Formats: sequence, structure tokens, C-alpha cells
Amino acid sequence: MSSDHENSADTEYQHAEDGGPQPEKHCGHGRGGMGEEVRRKEDQRFITGRGNYVDDVKKPGMLHCELVRSPHAHARIEEIDGSRAMDMDGVVAVLTAEDLLEYDLATMPTLMDDTQDVLVNDKVKFQSQEVAAVIAEDRYVAKDGAEKVDVTYDVLDPVVDADDALEDDAPLIREDIEDKEDNHIFDWETGDEEATAQAFEEADVTVEEEMFYQRLHPAPIETCGAVGDYDPGKDKLTVHMTSQAPHIHRTLFAQVSGIPEHKIRIVSPDVGGGFGNKVPIYPGYVVAAAASYVLEQPVKWVEERSENIQTTGFARDYDMTGEIAATEDGEILAVRTDVLANHGAYNAAAQPSKFPAGFFNIFTGSYDIDAAYASLSAAYTNTAPGGIAYRCSFRVTEAVYLIERMVKVLADELEVDPTEIRRKNFIQPEQFPYESPTGWNYDSGDYESALDLALEMAEYEEYREEQQRRIENDADKLLGIGISSFTEVVGAGPGKTCDIAGVEMFDSAEIRIHPTGKATVRVGVQTQGQGHETTFAQIVAEELGMDVDDIVVEHGDTDTDPYGLGTYGSRSTPVAGAATAVASRKVRDKAKTIAANELEADEGDIEWDRESGEFHVAGAPDRSITITEIAAGAYMNNPAGEEPGLEAVNYYDPPEMTYPFGSYVVVVEVDRETGEVEFEKFVAVDDCGNRINPMVIEGQIHGGLAQGIGTAMMEHVTYDDNGNVTGGDFMNYLLPTAMEIPEFETGHTVTPSPHHPIGAKGVGESPTVGSPPAIVNAVVDAMAHAGVSHVEMPMTPDVVWEALDEAGLAQQPAANLEFELESGEAADD
Amino acid sequence: MEFDGEFELEGVPPEKAWIVLSDPIAVRNSLKGCRYITPMDDEFSFDEYEPDEGAETLPEADPEVVADRAFREGERYAALMQIGVGSVKPRFETTVTIDERDDESLEMIASGGGDASSSSFSMTSGMRIHDLEGGEGARIEWWTEADITGRIAQLGSRVIKPVADKIVTNFFGSIEQQMTDVDAETDESVTDRLRNML
Repeated sequence: MSSDHENSADTEYQHAEDGGPQPEKHCGHGRGGMGEEVRRKEDQRFITGRGNYVDDVKKPGMLHCELVRSPHAHARIEEIDGSRAMDMDGVVAVLTAEDLLEYDLATMPTLMDDTQDVLVNDKVKFQSQEVAAVIAEDRYVAKDGAEKVDVTYDVLDPVVDADDALEDDAPLIREDIEDKEDNHIFDWETGDEEATAQAFEEADVTVEEEMFYQRLHPAPIETCGAVGDYDPGKDKLTVHMTSQAPHIHRTLFAQVSGIPEHKIRIVSPDVGGGFGNKVPIYPGYVVAAAASYVLEQPVKWVEERSENIQTTGFARDYDMTGEIAATEDGEILAVRTDVLANHGAYNAAAQPSKFPAGFFNIFTGSYDIDAAYASLSAAYTNTAPGGIAYRCSFRVTEAVYLIERMVKVLADELEVDPTEIRRKNFIQPEQFPYESPTGWNYDSGDYESALDLALEMAEYEEYREEQQRRIENDADKLLGIGISSFTEVVGAGPGKTCDIAGVEMFDSAEIRIHPTGKATVRVGVQTQGQGHETTFAQIVAEELGMDVDDIVVEHGDTDTDPYGLGTYGSRSTPVAGAATAVASRKVRDKAKTIAANELEADEGDIEWDRESGEFHVAGAPDRSITITEIAAGAYMNNPAGEEPGLEAVNYYDPPEMTYPFGSYVVVVEVDRETGEVEFEKFVAVDDCGNRINPMVIEGQIHGGLAQGIGTAMMEHVTYDDNGNVTGGDFMNYLLPTAMEIPEFETGHTVTPSPHHPIGAKGVGESPTVGSPPAIVNAVVDAMAHAGVSHVEMPMTPDVVWEALDEAGLAQQPAANLEFELESGEAADD
Repeated sequence: MEFDGEFELEGVPPEKAWIVLSDPIAVRNSLKGCRYITPMDDEFSFDEYEPDEGAETLPEADPEVVADRAFREGERYAALMQIGVGSVKPRFETTVTIDERDDESLEMIASGGGDASSSSFSMTSGMRIHDLEGGEGARIEWWTEADITGRIAQLGSRVIKPVADKIVTNFFGSIEQQMTDVDAETDESVTDRLRNML
């Protein structure tokens, strides 16, 4: 299906100068350590249907919750009458905001310090918002009951567009915020406005392009759900929920409900995809937990597909203007952007950075640009709240799209090959650690090597010649070649820049080696399909010379796992992966003490050999001992004065973010008659630093590219003027299937992160972040010779055909041509 | 969302078409999914009202009864409609007011709205009956402007329009049959009398 190319020219390690943890050299030893294609441990249960998801959780006496949702986008609630529902057999309760007010739970804080209604008390602010809940003995009764809750609305004019929302005469959405008189949320800026303006004044060439990164939904296959399970005997609330961040959710539950944190247990069992959608807390979780607490019975809430798309965290919705100032030979002097962000009815973007626009800061991308300035405004609208990081590190997707599109716009303006512009402006390997004009410290990179490899794999020159031939021959199908040489910022994050509700974004690992030499590893992050149970075991296997099969990784239960901030923003490997390596090394240190005792040598003479995985006396490799023997020693023959046992915990606060990068080359064919786009070639070269499991990485890349293709070609959550979600289910919100996904060719370079203990950077999001601009660049490239500079996503055939038509490239369908001919003849008669 | 169209009834004089289209029972019988259309007052309850399922229409009905129940300008009517759009089958409790009704130009405009548990709509609709050009019969011109919210609206016009078209086509197909019956079996004097009563 695909091949993986390696550029082995660049495997040099770079080291941090601040004396932080140093990356160590790794290679496969056959025990399932770093770099080995270990099959995923979790797949056994997933493939055989033995996964355990929230909806699989069944408790004795469990009740079911169904939410009553508003058909209107903006309406005042005049009355809620649940009597017809209560009359039904099996309906236990109908809850409204009034009931929740008693427990101070009618509203909840969002992750951005806004306040969102759990159940609407006064005014509905987006379509399908939660207005009441029906609790019943049976799921179907709950659903029927919800249909029988009569809500009287006074319908108000909605505003769905961010531009319109900021007009003076726009309806005011957030009357609940004191003294609020408009729909404006915040303004934010970064960079040097004056220096940037000056660079624009002095530049030979300036280009500008408007581009809309449309509203997307992560659309995980498993929708959100929860089982609230309050045990009055223990006075303890357990919530099984689809959570990407169970520990911080426990803290938030404690803060909001007043239940002490040690009396709350959050369990995030198997989760069928998160992609950022399962980072926020949703009203359904709170209602299920609150109902269970009040009724003293377990309560399950699982949403439907359309509820997931229409009400839970969307992504993007950034309306951007990009500008570049350059010299006439293509040196970029400055980049400037102005953004209008639609945040929906509440500011509920789940992003933990200290910046309202997350890591949009790195919009200068892979390029060494002296001056940069970004300004951004955000607006409330009568649409679902969101702005979450869909397989993305907090707005870096929008930033990468902007800069990678603008570089193409500049190349077309200057009529030079886009690779030339990139090479001329890349940050060079020797410039790292590199400080960007907005003050961000890139750890390491070698952008040109990744581009070279991608171009070679894509047969770039040959396609360029073919493209020219087709233009000259006035061919029916045009060829376009798109490139994206993106840099990501992941691994949130250093406590200095990232926190959730004040909790800094470290992560953790706890390793226990049992007397028989097997290990249980618990991590603070939680997996939704990323393969943690395999890759974290591989880190431990590597660092302790163990066999990967002797290690089990647990996660997702706040009662047993060490505190962590969760999995999103490609942070698991950069943060919890680092914690796992450091904890392993702590175990290794203790193991040396025990080894010295067992081998009757001085502790200082004990060496550990990564190749064999054994501990031995310096200069006497045959006087060696394995970790299994050491484990036995730790429990059965512990050295005098030493604490028995063999375990370690590490909480890791990364010194910096990591900056994975890559170069993608996409070749498309654009049909001039139908506007259809077909992928001819799709090459993805990624550099995520040292690689833990190449097979898992390739899986991540494939999945992310599929989502990138969905983004570029198909997906859009649309609204009509009445605030109806017209892209709110899988009939109208189109996800790519196997039919739309081409064959991928993946390749990689390896530029380790100098500050990460194993030199890894994280890779989960690179393909979703990096591929949309490459795809759009390719489609634009097919029409660039006729003056097309931009095509908006999603590039459905009608959108592409219109661009072709405007550029004079469209061909009328052959059938119509005949028809015109016939009717022409008829007219002559 | 806007819908409009035309319907031709060959051999049915405009006046007879007007009489049938003025009868709430005849309209009810032709409108698939409609349980009743009945005048309403403030006390009206959608849950409690039981329609007379056996009400006769022309040609069997007593012309005086038909004349008496005909749509009146300014009157408010309750209609219960169940419409299936894709997987969604909301039961709309609808209120309609006849805004204008002109017996001379054969023109009627009505507005109203309906609520179901997960959807609601408001609309203004109009109808005008013309002589069929170049033949015996009537040409009925109709239009609707509707604001739809909720689950039905989410399906988008791509799904809604074909359903609306089907309802309208079925309606006029059925009404044509009723009109033909009226035409064939009703004495000219009865329709003339009715026309005068209206």
C-alpha cells in the first residue's frame, strides 16, 4: 500500500545547552524497544470486538438520560412543561435549569473562563442547545419522553456569521454577561506591528490573499457519552466518560460540583477517537453525573451522531487575510495577517495555552522572517460553541495553512517555482534553537532535507514537465503540484505557557516492576486510538532492557493513574513519553544499586548495556544480570539499608515545546469539464524526531492525511440564515471514505528534539495540519497559469468548476455542447 | 425556503376549482398527513380535538354545509399535520390564518406556522386560479415562503424540496379527482348556488 523512505543522511543528535535531559542513541534490539515495528497490543481486543467503551458500561439499576434540544438558534424560553413526559410509564424525572440551580449546576465554566448553560435557564443561543433532560428506565422511553416535553419559545433573530455578529445592529447574544453590549469576545495581537508595516512599505513585492478555514467537526466514530454512578454508601461519584483528559476533568468536576476531589473518580475507558472533540466538558456529562447524584442511581447519557456534530466542539472557523512582503528575488521580509474567529455562542475553545489564539503565534512557519504581525478578533454567534484543536495543536493548523498558502501565492506572483521560495527562506539547521519573530523557540529542524526527499519521491521534475505539456496541449485534465513544508508546535507544554484551570501542563508516568520482573506502567495521558499501550511499553522496554511483552500500560482511571493533563495536541509522546523515559531511568538507577549487591561489586562499577539490556560490572561483561533478576533481588534479597521494591514516578514539565515538521507533495488532476479533483500522487515526508514505532507512526500519518483530505475536499459545518445547522449529520457533513482516499507514499527524516529525553517530537497531527495547504496549493497550481490564486475549502467539484470557469479554463460538458448544436440547428430551420 | 408552482386542471372551470379549494374538508382529504383543518378559538386544544372523520364532501355533501364551513378571510384555523422527511416524522400543530380571500379574482393568501417537538416553521402561502389558456379548465398558481427551523430544516433543501414537491403533486392529483367528481356528479345549479353562497 505504501512505502517508507528514509533519509539516513541526517541522524545527528543535537544537545541542549541548558543541561536538561539529553537524548540518547537508540536502535532496535529485538525486545520491542525504540524503533521497532511492534504490533499494537490494544488491537487484539479492538479487532475481536472486546473493546470496552462508555456505551458498553452497564450498571444494575442504570437509568438513561435524553436531552431535549432547542429547534431554534436564538429564542427565549417562556415555559417548559414536562408533565406529558412525566405521565409516561418509565419516565423517572424531567430536569430543567431550575432543578440544577438548586445544586448550583445550571451553568458550568468553559475552559476559556466563559460560562455555559448546562440546561438553558433563559435564552437559547444556538440550535440544538440543551434545554431539559428526561431520565427514564429505558433508553427508548427516555427518547420518547424528550419528544413530549413541551417548550414554549419566543423566537429571536439569530446571527450566524462572525462578520454580521460584529455589526452595530446585530442581535445581542450574550445578555447573561454583565454590561455586554456587543458580540465581541476578544482582540489579540502578536509580533511587531510597526516593524512589519515598515517592511511592507519598503518591499519590492507584496501579495495578499483572503482565505476562510471553514468550520469543521472532528466527528470521532464514537460520539460523546457518560455514565454517572454515585455510590451513597461510599459517598463517591464515579463518572465513566469519553474523556481525553480524565484527571483535569476530575478537578473541574470537583470545582464545579463542590464534591471533594478524592470523592470523584473519572474513568475514561476505551475511547473511539477524540481528535480534540473530547477535551471540553459537555452539558450531557454534567447532567448524567448530577442526575445520578440526586437519584442515587447510575445514569447513562450517550449522544447521537447529529447531536455530536451539532453541539460539541467544532474546529477552525477562521476567516483570515494573509500578506507577505518580499524582495523581487523572493526573500520574505515580513508576514502579516488579520483574522476574524467565530467562536460560537460561548467561548469554549479547549486550548490550554496562555494565548487566546493558542499557538497561532507560529504563523511564520518554517521560514526565517524578520518581521511578523498578527491581529485577531473573535465573535460570539448563534452557533454551537467550539474552536477546539481538531487533531491540531491549538490553532497551529490555521497558522500553517496561512503561511503555506501565502508562500505559494508569492511564488506565483514572482513566477518562480514554489520550492525555490521555500529553499531561499527556510530556517537553516545551524540556526537552531531558533527564536521566531513572535518569540517562540524552535528546538530543531532540517527543512530542506525533508523537502528534497519529498520532491525526489514525488518525481517532482517529471510532473512539472507533464504539467507544462498539458497546458500547451490544452488538455482536458490539468495537472497541479502542491507543496507544504510545514512546521508544527506540539507537546503542550511548558508550565510557563500552558495550563488548564491553573494546573500546569506537565504529564506523568509511574513504573512498577513486580517481583517476577514484569512491569505495570501507568501514565497520566489517555489513549483514544493512538497506540499508547504499545508505544509507552516500548519506551520502558528500551530504557530498562525489558521485553515489550512483559510490560502492561494502564491509563484513563483517576483512582489509579498518576495525574496528567490528557492526550491532545500531540502532547503524549513529548510530555508523558518523556516522563516514561525519565521514570525508567530512575528505575534503572535503583536497579544499579541492586545489581551491585547481587554481583558483589561497587555500585559505581555497574554499567548498563543498551544493546543487551543487561547490567554488568565495568570491564567484565560476562558478570551481568538482567532486570528480571534484579527485580527478584529488589523484593527477595534487598540490600541492607535500601528501601525494598523497584518502582519510580516522574512528573515531567517540558522545558520547551517540540517542533515536528515535514514536506508534503501532492499531485492532482483537475477535470476541466466537471471540476473533479483526482489525486495522482500523495507524498508525505515527516520528521518527528526519534521514532518509537514506525508502524504506529505510519498509521497516524495515514489517518491524519485522510482527515486532511476531508478538510480540503469535503467537510464543512454549514448554517442557514435561521441558524439551522445544515451540515449537522453524515448525510450533509461529508467524511471521506476509502473511495476518496488515494494511495499514500510516506517517508521520513530524523531530527531529534535536543531537549526531549528520547529525542521524540510527536506526530499525531502533522498530517492533518500539513496536508490541507498542500492539497489546495495543488488545485490552485493546476489553474495558476490562468491567474487563479486561491480556491476555498472544501474544494467540492462545483467550487473548483467555478474557479475554472472564472479563469476561462472550464469546458462545457460534452452532452451540453451537442444539445446546443442541435438547438442551434433547430433555430436555423 | 421558497417553493412555487403551477397546476393545470383540464375541463374543470376555475369557479369549481375555487369551491373545492375553499372547503377545509376537501383540502384535508387531499393533503397527505393532514388529520384535520378546523376553525379554532383561543380555547382550542390540539390534544383534545377530535375531527369528524366521516364528513362528506361534494358531490355528496349538503351544499349549505359546504358553504358554511368554507375558508373565511380573517379566520384562524388549526391543522394537525404529520410529515415524513427522511428519517424524521414530526407531527406539526399548525395555526393558519386566511389573510386574504377574493371570490372575484379567485385568490387566497394564508399565513401561519407550526410546531413539532424538534422542528417548527412559519410560512406565507398564496394561490390564484386562472382560466386555462387555450382550452377549457383552470390553471392554479401557488407559492409558499417558509422559514423552517429544527431537525427538518437541518436536512436541507436538497431533501425538503422533493418532499414538498411530492406533497403538492399528490395534493393536486387528489384535488383534481375531487373536482372531476364534483364536475361530473354535481348539478350545475348546486355549484352556482354554492358560488353565490360563498
